[in-house]
Amino acid sequence: MDTKLVKEVTDWLKTTDLAEFCYGNNGDSLEIKTSEALPEPAQFQSALVSVCSPAIGVYHAAEKGKSLPLSQGQKVEQGDLLGWIETVGKKHKVTAPCAGQLQAISVQEGAVVEFGLPLFFIEP
Amino acid sequence: MSGKNKITPFHKVLVANRGEIALRVLRTLKEMNIKSVAIYSEADRNCLHVRMADEAVCIGPASSSQSYLNIDAIVTAAKITGADAVHPGYGFLSENADFAAAVEKAGIVFIGPTAKTISMLGVKSTAREIAVKAGVPVTPGSDGVVGKNYHAVARKIGFPLMIKAALGGGGKGMRACLKEADLDRMFKTAQAEARANFGDDRMYFEKLVLNPRHIEVQVAADNYGNVVAFAERDCSLQRRHQKLVEESPSPFVDNKTRLQLQAAACNVVKAAKYSGLGTVEFLMAPTKEFYFMEVNTRLQVEHPVTEEVCGYDLVKLQIQIAQGEKLPFSQKEAATIRCHAIEHRINAEDSEQNFAPCPGTVTEWTPAGGLGVRIDSHIYTGYTIPSFYDSLIAKLIVTAPDRARLLARSRRCLDDFCVEGVKTTIAFHRKIVTNADFISGNTDTGLIERMLKQEKGHESQR
Repeated sequence: MDTKLVKEVTDWLKTTDLAEFCYGNNGDSLEIKTSEALPEPAQFQSALVSVCSPAIGVYHAAEKGKSLPLSQGQKVEQGDLLGWIETVGKKHKVTAPCAGQLQAISVQEGAVVEFGLPLFFIEP
Repeated sequence: MSGKNKITPFHKVLVANRGEIALRVLRTLKEMNIKSVAIYSEADRNCLHVRMADEAVCIGPASSSQSYLNIDAIVTAAKITGADAVHPGYGFLSENADFAAAVEKAGIVFIGPTAKTISMLGVKSTAREIAVKAGVPVTPGSDGVVGKNYHAVARKIGFPLMIKAALGGGGKGMRACLKEADLDRMFKTAQAEARANFGDDRMYFEKLVLNPRHIEVQVAADNYGNVVAFAERDCSLQRRHQKLVEESPSPFVDNKTRLQLQAAACNVVKAAKYSGLGTVEFLMAPTKEFYFMEVNTRLQVEHPVTEEVCGYDLVKLQIQIAQGEKLPFSQKEAATIRCHAIEHRINAEDSEQNFAPCPGTVTEWTPAGGLGVRIDSHIYTGYTIPSFYDSLIAKLIVTAPDRARLLARSRRCLDDFCVEGVKTTIAFHRKIVTNADFISGNTDTGLIERMLKQEKGHESQR
């Protein structure tokens, strides 16, 4: 392996704004990546606020006989009712922790949910 | 009664507990080919019981009051997973009559006695009355809850005496009062403790038996009035009313006393119209006279000791009784002593710092093994012991044909057992199995405290 070539290519790569360089000739190939090309460490950054289930139970969007009042993109205010979790003996309110736009609805009417399961995502 | 004679096999059982006992119950469910549901708190996501069960559901945050003590959440979990029975394990809600009632109300079988029986025997003074009616000796005491005239009642019984909470357990709300001068102060602190722990401050008195042994008898009763009693367990090695070592058969109990104990235990259980697995606890004086203390209406931590001695799976027996089956063996078979067995409770505690809990990450977990060794534990290398729950991390259960070989094996196992990352009580157990009084079988409920005092004495002499 021609280490001199590798060094030359690497030095040259640093002077450019390229992150990766690949070259192949007669079966030989060279592949060099700068640190910028490495994947970002798993840092999940989300501007969305999740609304998690406050209990294990069954999700209901509204009282019986009423239609689902929620839709994606809808604006909500802090404290708005987003549904109920019904347990054997109680009904737990699900409320919006902040004002914003309802970006994702990941629960359906009548779904069985565990404690802590994300039900909605709000973009503040 | 005729409606009760039906056997309803369970298809799916929810285990309403965590840690080693959840695993213990799951193992039997697997062997019985019954599907299982585990419940867990947010702190227990990485627990083995979550992995071992066929299904697992998260029921709440780390704090036990919102998870493992949350009746509504657990009954809901049983409902939505389609479980037809709930096994409560020990601790948490296992002796909570409201929980048993809520499970029954949801149309699910509670594996244990009925809510009515639990609440009846849970009030210690009522349990005493039942024992008296059954002709079982009880320590002289206040005959029920004491009122404002407690001074007079105490004088009549005589000192020393025990002040106990009617709904007490685990040593909470309990005080030994040696002389009348201390009565007022101790009564008030015990009562305050009872109010804080059980939400109930009814108190009663019992005569204090000096240097007693704690002897308990495992019983099983089916729905048809059949009752059996197993060989006794000696649980005299306690620290602040928390058991550390349990042994069966007791080195102190002879055959004649053994039969008397078993008869007394059966009589209490029959008088209470009990059904399920239970334990009748006795206090035994150095004269071998024994007095009824209480009935534990659940599977106990130390049940493996009896399992090893009698050779039956007691969790399976519990499930069989709850399914409506008859007891599968006779009194003679139940009481057969096949070997000697001992259990060492290994806690994540620092025995040199007053047994303070020591949660943290277990960096090495190499349990003892070999002939006559059983480890009931939920720990693995890399597991982080949360600070929210009990500090029990393993039960080391050792068996041998006789007591001398048993203690030799126990010493070998405690030397083999290697836990790194957290402090454990293993070192303290090593001291117990080399203690001369323990080896000679000369134990009582004060031995541990005497050992600790002696240690302190040696330290200050140095």
